[in-house]
Amino acid sequence: MNAFHLTEDQQDCLQELINVAMGQASDQLARYLDTFVYLKVPSIESISTSSLTQTLDDKESAVAIVSQGFFGYEGIRGEALLVYQDEDSGRIADLLGYEPDELSHDEQLIDISSILTTTFLNVFASQIDNQMSYNAPKLLPSAQNSLSEHLQQMTFSWDFALKVNINYQVTDYSFNCNMILLIPETAIMNIKKVIDRILEDF
Amino acid sequence: MSPAVLICDDSNMARKQVLRSLPESWHDNLQTATNGVEALTILRASNIDILFLDLTMPGIDGVGVLQGIQKLNIECSVFVISADIQPEMQSKVLALGAKAFLQKPIKAERLTQELQQHGLL
Amino acid sequence: MSNTNESAPSTTSLPSDVVSSITNQVSDQLNTGVLVVDRDFKVVMWNRFIQVHANKSSEEVVGRLIFDVFPELPQRWFERKLSGVLQLNTPSFSSWEQRHHLFELPHTRPITTDSEFMAQNCTFLPLDVAGEHSYICILIEDVTDVCHYQGQLQKTLKELALISRIDGLTQIFNRRHWQESLEQEYAKARRHNKKLALIMLDLDHFKKLNDNYGHQGGDKALIDVTQIVKSVLRIEDVFGRYGGEEFAIILPETDIQGALDLAQRVCNTVAKTPVLFQEHIIQLSVSIGVSQLSDNDTSYEKLIANADAALYQAKANGRNQVFNALDLSDESLSA
Repeated sequence: MNAFHLTEDQQDCLQELINVAMGQASDQLARYLDTFVYLKVPSIESISTSSLTQTLDDKESAVAIVSQGFFGYEGIRGEALLVYQDEDSGRIADLLGYEPDELSHDEQLIDISSILTTTFLNVFASQIDNQMSYNAPKLLPSAQNSLSEHLQQMTFSWDFALKVNINYQVTDYSFNCNMILLIPETAIMNIKKVIDRILEDF
Repeated sequence: MSPAVLICDDSNMARKQVLRSLPESWHDNLQTATNGVEALTILRASNIDILFLDLTMPGIDGVGVLQGIQKLNIECSVFVISADIQPEMQSKVLALGAKAFLQKPIKAERLTQELQQHGLL
Repeated sequence: MSNTNESAPSTTSLPSDVVSSITNQVSDQLNTGVLVVDRDFKVVMWNRFIQVHANKSSEEVVGRLIFDVFPELPQRWFERKLSGVLQLNTPSFSSWEQRHHLFELPHTRPITTDSEFMAQNCTFLPLDVAGEHSYICILIEDVTDVCHYQGQLQKTLKELALISRIDGLTQIFNRRHWQESLEQEYAKARRHNKKLALIMLDLDHFKKLNDNYGHQGGDKALIDVTQIVKSVLRIEDVFGRYGGEEFAIILPETDIQGALDLAQRVCNTVAKTPVLFQEHIIQLSVSIGVSQLSDNDTSYEKLIANADAALYQAKANGRNQVFNALDLSDESLSA
C-alpha cells in the first residue's frame, strides 16, 4: 500500500465512472458502427511498472498494438494501448463502413483504435468535468518485444501506474480487442483529487 | 405506508446515488444487494415491491435477475438503472418485464418522474 | 470547473475583435495548414500556409466543396472519416506512414527528396460552435523532412542487415548467415519430409598459391572461384564462405544424385577455367565432399560433419575430385 493506491471508495467511484463512460461510449459506437457492442466489467488495478511488462507479457502474442497518448486539465493524462489478436482484425474496414481497398490494414487498426479510445475518454472526461486532447495514434512495430520495449521507454520515469483494462466485443463482426489505459503516478494523484471531490458529494 | 425497496448494484456509489434520489420515508424499508445472487435470495425471502437493478455486474447480471424473477413468478416492479444504454439492451430488458429503463448516472428528478408515472409515488 | 479554459473576469481582457485579429494573424503565421469545412464539406476558412502551398486565391476556394478544390482527395473515405468526427465528437488522424499525403501540395525541399508532394500528418478536429458540432478543422502538418530521413534510415538499416550477412571478400554469405540458413533448411526439410543435400568444397593447394603469388593472388583466386562456382549453381542453392579457402553450399530439395551431379559440374568448371592474376594465368582446382540428410541425422551439424569427412577423403584421394559421404567407411565417419 502506498500513496498511489486507491482506497476502496476511490476504486468503487472510479469503477462506476468508467462503467458509465463505457456505456455511453458503447452506445455512441453502436450507433456509428451500426452494430451492438458488448461490454464487460472493466478491471482497475494499481501496479508497479516493473511488473507491468510481466502482466502484459501474455499480450506478446498480439499481432498489433496501437498506442495513443491523452491529456486533459488538472494534470490528468496517460496512454491508451489497443491490443489486437490475429483473428480480431479481419473485418475492420467493413465494421468502420469503408470498402476494404479504401484503406490499408494498418490504417484500419489505427482508425478503429483512435475511435474506441477517444470516444471512451471523451465521455469519461465529461463526467469529471474535464476535456481531453490526444496525440496521433501510432502503430507499434510488429517486431517481437516491441511492447516491452515500448513500455520500458514509456514508463522510464515512473515506478507506478494505474492500469484500466477494458474489453470491447462486437459479436456481429467477431471483433474483439483490449483497451489498456495506463496512468502514470503523478496523474494518479490528480485523479484521486478529482475522485475525492466527487465522493465529498455523498 | 412506504414500499419495500431493493437496490441491486455492485457499486457502492451507484447504490448511494439511487438511495438519495428516493423519498426520505422509504429509507426505513430498504435493502441492498451487490450482485444478482444476493438480489434473488432477498427477492425470494421477502416481499419486495420495487427493485432498482443494475445490468453490468459480475456473476449473475441484471438480465439474469430479470430472468430469475420471471421464472420464480416474483411480483415486483423492476426499474433498470444501467450504464449500458444501447437500444438492443433497452428493448431486451423491457421485454423481460422491466417497468422502465433509466440511464446512469441516475438523476433524482428523472427517477421521481418515472415512479409517479407508474403510480408508485 | 475552476481551472478550465474560461478566462477569468478581468478588466484587462481584450475586446473580441482584437482577439480575433490576433488569432487570425497567428493562424496565418503557422507553419501548419489550417482548413475549416462545414458538415456539407464546403470550405469556410483557410490559413495562409495552405493558401500559399495550394497556390489558389480565397475566391476560388472559400464557399466551394473541398472535393472541387482538391480533386485528389479520396472522396468516399474522406466523407466517412469526417462523418465519424462529427457524430462521435472525436478527433481523427491520418499519418504519412499510412497515407503519404492527402492534399497534393508541393514541398519546400524539392531537391533532397524523391517524392513530388509534401508528406503530411493530418488531424481532423470537431469544432463546437454554439453547442453544435457542425464544423471540422483540418490541420495539415508538413512532415516531408521526417519522411525523408525515415526513408534514409530504412535504407541504411537494410544495408547494415545485408552487410552483417555478407562475406567482405567474396560477397557471398558469411559463415554465420550460411549456418542460420542451414538451420532453417534443416527444420523445413524435417517438417515437410523433404530431401536436403550439402556440398563442402575446398580450394586445392591454397597455401602454395599464397606462397607463389602473395596474399593478393590468393584473394583473387578466392574471388574468382566464388564467381565460377556461382555460375553453376541454381537460384535456390545457398552458397557461403565457410572459412579460409573452404566454401559450403546448401541444396534444398535435392537428393544425393542431384548433389553429386552438381558437385561434379562445379569441380569440372573450376578445373577448366583458369584465373588471371596480374600477368599470371593460374590453374585452380577444388576438392568436394557431398552429403545428404538421412533419417537418423538428428541435427544439421551432422550434415556438415559428413560432408567435411567426404571432403577430407576427396583430398586424400588426390584432390580435384568429388567424394560421396555415403561411400565413407564407418570408421572415417565416426572419426
